[in-house]
Amino acid sequence: MIYASQAPRLQIGARWLGTLVVLFAITVLLLGRGSSAQSENSEPPVRVPSNVAWTEETLAIVSSGDAFRGLLLARRCNHCHGEEGFSSVPAFPNLAGEDRLSFWKQMQDFRSGKRTSPVMQGIAEGFSARASADLAAYYAMLPTASDPQDTRAFPQVMQDPSRASRAIHLIIFGDGQRGIPPCQSCHGPVSYVKGAPPLATQNGNYLEQQLEHFSNGYRTNDINVGMRSIARQLTAEEKTAVSEYYGAGLGPGVNSR
Amino acid sequence: MKKIGFVAAMTLVGLAILSTRYYMVDLPVWHFLGGGKGPDPRALHLQGEFVESNLGAAEGPARSLTVRMIAQQFVFVPQCIVVPAGVPITFRITSADVVHMLSFLGTNYGLKALPGAVTEATFTFAKAGEFKIPCHEFCGAGHYAMRGQLDVVPRDQFASLLPGERRTCDLR
Repeated sequence: MIYASQAPRLQIGARWLGTLVVLFAITVLLLGRGSSAQSENSEPPVRVPSNVAWTEETLAIVSSGDAFRGLLLARRCNHCHGEEGFSSVPAFPNLAGEDRLSFWKQMQDFRSGKRTSPVMQGIAEGFSARASADLAAYYAMLPTASDPQDTRAFPQVMQDPSRASRAIHLIIFGDGQRGIPPCQSCHGPVSYVKGAPPLATQNGNYLEQQLEHFSNGYRTNDINVGMRSIARQLTAEEKTAVSEYYGAGLGPGVNSR
Repeated sequence: MKKIGFVAAMTLVGLAILSTRYYMVDLPVWHFLGGGKGPDPRALHLQGEFVESNLGAAEGPARSLTVRMIAQQFVFVPQCIVVPAGVPITFRITSADVVHMLSFLGTNYGLKALPGAVTEATFTFAKAGEFKIPCHEFCGAGHYAMRGQLDVVPRDQFASLLPGERRTCDLR
């Protein structure tokens, strides 16, 4: 009696269960297909230029750097970037008087591979975020005044002085028709933007190389495509003019002369 | 009678204050747009819809286009955008630092870019042409040279966007 009354119930239960399982499977399949199709269609793969963002935590890490520890760590940098933060090779950047934030950001980008350099990527791996902050504090303290006893390459001679007027026009006024803001509105001394280094004592060859890298897409670690947009607008001659002008120590800056 | 006069006077003063508040542009706009709850202006490049690979013209709903832009000191990104004429174009723009404003020269269209909020507006450009987009809100030392460009091309010259494609002038 018991079996007779339970058998049909079991059958009904099994049928319901089967239907549910089938429905569930169909739903999962449809949802899965739908979401995968959506992610394929509407969103291109995300490209992150740099892992650094100027949040309070980042600023706290950078500003807590210890210049004396930086002095000791800088022995590893002296060979290329000079004892006094001025390189003897014009293709290497000068680090004396470098802005802390931009120095730290470049070190992080070398470490994470966001900025490509066969030399610096390997070296920067040896410096932690804390060590980079110490170095940043040290180099920010170094004076930018000239020293005749040093082997620095810094004030280089302008190859073509006739380009100077074009350069100073771009540095002070930019070119509004093409959407090129003046260099000095971000790189100083008129105003500074976070992550933009001062250029008044930078080597010309290095600047020209970096402008070229920004415009041809080799260097892509500028936040929100800022420098890439600008460098793309500059002609080759303008890049050379601006770089040589800064490299000759003529660019406007706090301690440039 | 005096009491009624007092209440009426206070009501008028209240209305004056409220209307002043209403006519101030930046602050209410910022609040209506969810100011502070929008994308973090300092971390636009890390995540969200304003990462650099998502900027430019994209396919929008119902054969419209969505253009995402960032305004920052002192450049619009992407600096040059290309859109077809006669198609509704939804601009979504935010700022990475301070308040900026796009104004499309030659039209009466304009858009404020506010840090921490997304401004959205839909415009339709009837004719093809090139429009300069100067920044129309003082934003710092390089403000007067901050200028983007909008190229409106005839509809048949604008190759339809592939899904997931983002178009600027470089990739026309």
